[in-house]
Amino acid sequence: MSVFTIEAFLAILGLVLLMIEAFAPDISRRTLAALSIGGTALALVLFFTVASHETSSLPAFVQPWMKLDSLAIFYKGLSLVITLLVLWLMHECAPYLSKYTVDGRLSELFSLPLIVCAGMMWMAAATDLVTVFVALELVTVSFYVLVAFARKSNLALEAGVKYLILGALSTGILVFGIAWIYGATGSLSFEGISAALAKPETSKVPALLGAAFLLAGLGFKVAAAPFQSWVPDVYQGAPIPVTTFLSVGSKAAGFVVLTRTVEALIGEHSIIGPEVKALLLVLGALTVLLGSLPAIFQQSVKRLLGYSSISHAGYLILALACGDSIRTGMTSGGIVAFYLATYLPMTVLAFLVLAVLRVNGQGEDIRDFRGLGKRSPLLALALTLALASLAGLPLTAGFMGKLFVFFSLVDHAYWGALVCATIGAAAGFYYYFRAIVAIYSTEGSSNEPLKLNIASKVGATVLAVVIVVLGVYPKPLQHTLTKPVEVAAKASAH
Amino acid sequence: MPHPPQEITSSSLPTLLLLLPLFSALVILLAHRVLKGACVAISIFSAAICFVISLMLLGTKDAAPLLLPFIEVGKFHIAIDAVMDHQSRGMMFIVTSIGFFVHLFSVGYMKEDESKERFFGSLSLFMFSMTGIVLSGNLFMMFIFWELVGLSSYLLIGHWFEKPSAAEASKKAFLTNRIGDFGFMIGILMLFMANHGDVSFAGLHASFAEGPLHDSAKLHPTFMMLAALGIFMGAVGKSAQFPLHVWLPDAMEGPTPVSALIHAATMVAAGVYMLVRCAFVIEASPDASYIIAWIGGLTALMAALIATQQNDIKRVLAYSTLSQLGYMVMAVGLVALQAGGSHHDAAAPGHPAMFHLYTHAFFKAMLFLGSGAVIYACHHEQDIWKMGGLAKHMPVVFITFAIGTASLMGVPYITSGFWSKEAILGVAFEVKGGSPLLWIGVATAMLTAFYMTRMFIVAFFGKPRSENASHAVEAPIIMILPLALLALLTILSPWDGAARILEAMKPHHAAPHHTVEIASILALLIGSGAGYVIYKGKNSDPLASNPLAKLFANKFYFDELYTVLVKVFQDGLAWIITGIERILVDGIVARLPAFVARRFGHSARALAGGHLQGYTFLLGAGLLVVIYLIVFVLPQAGH
Repeated sequence: MSVFTIEAFLAILGLVLLMIEAFAPDISRRTLAALSIGGTALALVLFFTVASHETSSLPAFVQPWMKLDSLAIFYKGLSLVITLLVLWLMHECAPYLSKYTVDGRLSELFSLPLIVCAGMMWMAAATDLVTVFVALELVTVSFYVLVAFARKSNLALEAGVKYLILGALSTGILVFGIAWIYGATGSLSFEGISAALAKPETSKVPALLGAAFLLAGLGFKVAAAPFQSWVPDVYQGAPIPVTTFLSVGSKAAGFVVLTRTVEALIGEHSIIGPEVKALLLVLGALTVLLGSLPAIFQQSVKRLLGYSSISHAGYLILALACGDSIRTGMTSGGIVAFYLATYLPMTVLAFLVLAVLRVNGQGEDIRDFRGLGKRSPLLALALTLALASLAGLPLTAGFMGKLFVFFSLVDHAYWGALVCATIGAAAGFYYYFRAIVAIYSTEGSSNEPLKLNIASKVGATVLAVVIVVLGVYPKPLQHTLTKPVEVAAKASAH
Repeated sequence: MPHPPQEITSSSLPTLLLLLPLFSALVILLAHRVLKGACVAISIFSAAICFVISLMLLGTKDAAPLLLPFIEVGKFHIAIDAVMDHQSRGMMFIVTSIGFFVHLFSVGYMKEDESKERFFGSLSLFMFSMTGIVLSGNLFMMFIFWELVGLSSYLLIGHWFEKPSAAEASKKAFLTNRIGDFGFMIGILMLFMANHGDVSFAGLHASFAEGPLHDSAKLHPTFMMLAALGIFMGAVGKSAQFPLHVWLPDAMEGPTPVSALIHAATMVAAGVYMLVRCAFVIEASPDASYIIAWIGGLTALMAALIATQQNDIKRVLAYSTLSQLGYMVMAVGLVALQAGGSHHDAAAPGHPAMFHLYTHAFFKAMLFLGSGAVIYACHHEQDIWKMGGLAKHMPVVFITFAIGTASLMGVPYITSGFWSKEAILGVAFEVKGGSPLLWIGVATAMLTAFYMTRMFIVAFFGKPRSENASHAVEAPIIMILPLALLALLTILSPWDGAARILEAMKPHHAAPHHTVEIASILALLIGSGAGYVIYKGKNSDPLASNPLAKLFANKFYFDELYTVLVKVFQDGLAWIITGIERILVDGIVARLPAFVARRFGHSARALAGGHLQGYTFLLGAGLLVVIYLIVFVLPQAGH
């Protein structure tokens, strides 16, 4: 069995569930959820057994378009994990979500994530821009539906429309960029583009124009400034599980593509390398600032996390702009992957708490956190850890990721960007800790204990433990991600 | 990778030393509701095993096993590694033996406490952190555990946090230590910078002998002095030296076993231990050595003066601890001066500060546990003027207390305290320019004899001066046993055989100087004689109305002075920060954009107002900016 089989299985399972919904409406939500979650869990288990055994085993007919390297395997694993977590969150949120749908049915909610997951997994391994585009659209179109899922809520509808129109616009920009790149380099594969750009006779301005459109299109997907304006509205309007999916899954998928694109554009001897790097630095610094500073004034936790997601994207873009870092011994792709892996548990945990509060009839503002310390000490502690980690407190997962980014900025002496990143991190401590203070303040809150089911308890505990473990002992994860560098170092030594 | 068996034992025992108390602390933290009374057993068990392990480690070969490569980011790394040498083995013995006895004693002392699980959990956390300090092979690791010790001390001082004074005291201890730790961190970072990122003790030592630090000590003596003083700041905080000494007396709000273990024998001595570990840093700067010696001497004298007018039995002992720590710090400075001149290794076995640390740890822990037994018997009465006549009611406690008092006063030739104090005064005598410090030391010895005689006579002799004191009975066996064991160790500690096993603690002055000997014996006679004459058979302090005594009783008004200082500086700082906030946050961040937005009118508001058209416009504008940047601006900037 190959990894591709697992992906195809997921997509087919998604379609089957959709058909069941259409033709057998009597089957209960619980069954569909169980099928979907079970299928994803099975896929995850199979994926780990397959991925650990074989290094590159794709069927011959997809090999021209896809390649399994360690980065691809990592992102595929990440996609599966986040999909599983999101499906579970959807199951948790089902009671309140069903109030907002037309007939109280939710089954697309359990089938579309599977298709998204397959798309993200394909994207992770794609080696040319057309494959990337197809996989990206598979993901994005599914998200259009998911964002607007709570049809009876005005906010959700508005978010859906905004996401659809702006998304479509950005897709157009992306295709335009691909076309320019093809025109300038005569190739659509990352390898071909990189090779063509290394030749001095390639004309520079068309390549630059193509790069600009390409980065703008992808920048929209990962919420980079100045294409980030949609994020707070969409995050606020979409149902909590979908927001989670957007902020981790969609972002990770966007970044794997961005990593490969940037690597192709700034490869050795690339004629447009310095310009692209400089642009990324500017955009990254701008993204950090435009994410962190407005976040200070937010009252809604979802909007806060939206801005936070923008600023995290800024750090990741800065990491990409730096290229390989000597001090940390990691490639920029490795740093981004590490950062995203640490970003997953803390974001999911924050949204999980939000979901629990929502299911218990609470709102989504910071003031709704008040008294949480009394109402559920476990959840309060977990949320504190998640927020501290998002801020980048040492000994939590979020610290190491930020540390690597700062190290690579210092390595390359990008002082201006470093200053912006520092301002962003400092602002981050302010707004995350404002939420933490709310957790432990008691005024004006109800004192009745929160009802927690066992799954939420276990889930919150596991995620919190992961945050601490990754923060205290990040080396194993770091090592799995540094392998490609060693290989690259060896290759360049010869 | 296969290890030779030798290596396995050399790294597995230290690992066990670290992990056992950590495990105990974690288990108690997570499962105290389920385990209840078993928590006490777990904590004691781990302390006992640690004691056995540190006994097994005595006399083993030196080693430096790497336990865990904690953080590795390219060239930068923080390792959890252990240094097993004469110094850490000796200190481990002190920490684990006293730790174990204190655990035992606490079973009796804390029997009726409702949250003794929390108490024993914090004790285990303390044992873990203290072990980490003692074993650490580099300054980063030491700093991490340094902070952990601070945390566990905070938790234990504030164990009875319902009492406002205990909550205040724990906060005070924590904040005061922050100041010291800040200096410590700066010192570490200075060494980190000067030695190109290596702050392992071995690496620093080698670099001072021949390497970058050797050169910078020559070229930049001021830099080296500041680095050494930064490191010393850490010790000033933790070992409660002047001017950061104010937290230690207040820390007596914690349960008495905690005072014995943490605030007398081990944690407060960690500062001295660290200074001896970093002896080569201090040696490199004679100016720093001089300052350190004087700070130690002044602390010793000042604390002894204050102790003469305290009425709380624990506070007298606390000030005496301060005073004795001052002796040790003075010894560190003096030995560094001596070694800096003569090029012999100050970290060699037999540092007088370590010897005094070792003898002091046992007799002071015993005195504190003894005072704990007294307090327990008098139903938590701590005022010595409300005790009296306890010698008859509590004979065993009386005898052990007498042994401790004799050691602290330095009764010549038979007590451990005499030998270790002689060693320190001997160095002061030998070092050029050390004679003022020698006389300060002798004066302190005289005051020590005075206040200990005062306390001993008032508390144990005469008539019972309160209801509680007249009904006092002997402490239970679980509290007597640790006292007796500590008394035994106190008596044995100056004995040659004991000193040989604990190489670090052996004094290297085989022949004491006769001048020094005569001076300190005279000091003892005068001090205790005066104490006996003044306090024999008194029911209240005859000196209390003396203005000088009032100054001592009020601790030289340090607390009041600091309150004023903090108020002036904090209010000043707050005023400046408010100003910055008004101008920067309110003005530039909040008002200015609002003003600009108003000026630009509806178009700007439309963009920020959530309208889809606005977003689309922004997207397009952003795209144009990106294209403009990459095609027109950046290519020029790049070349």
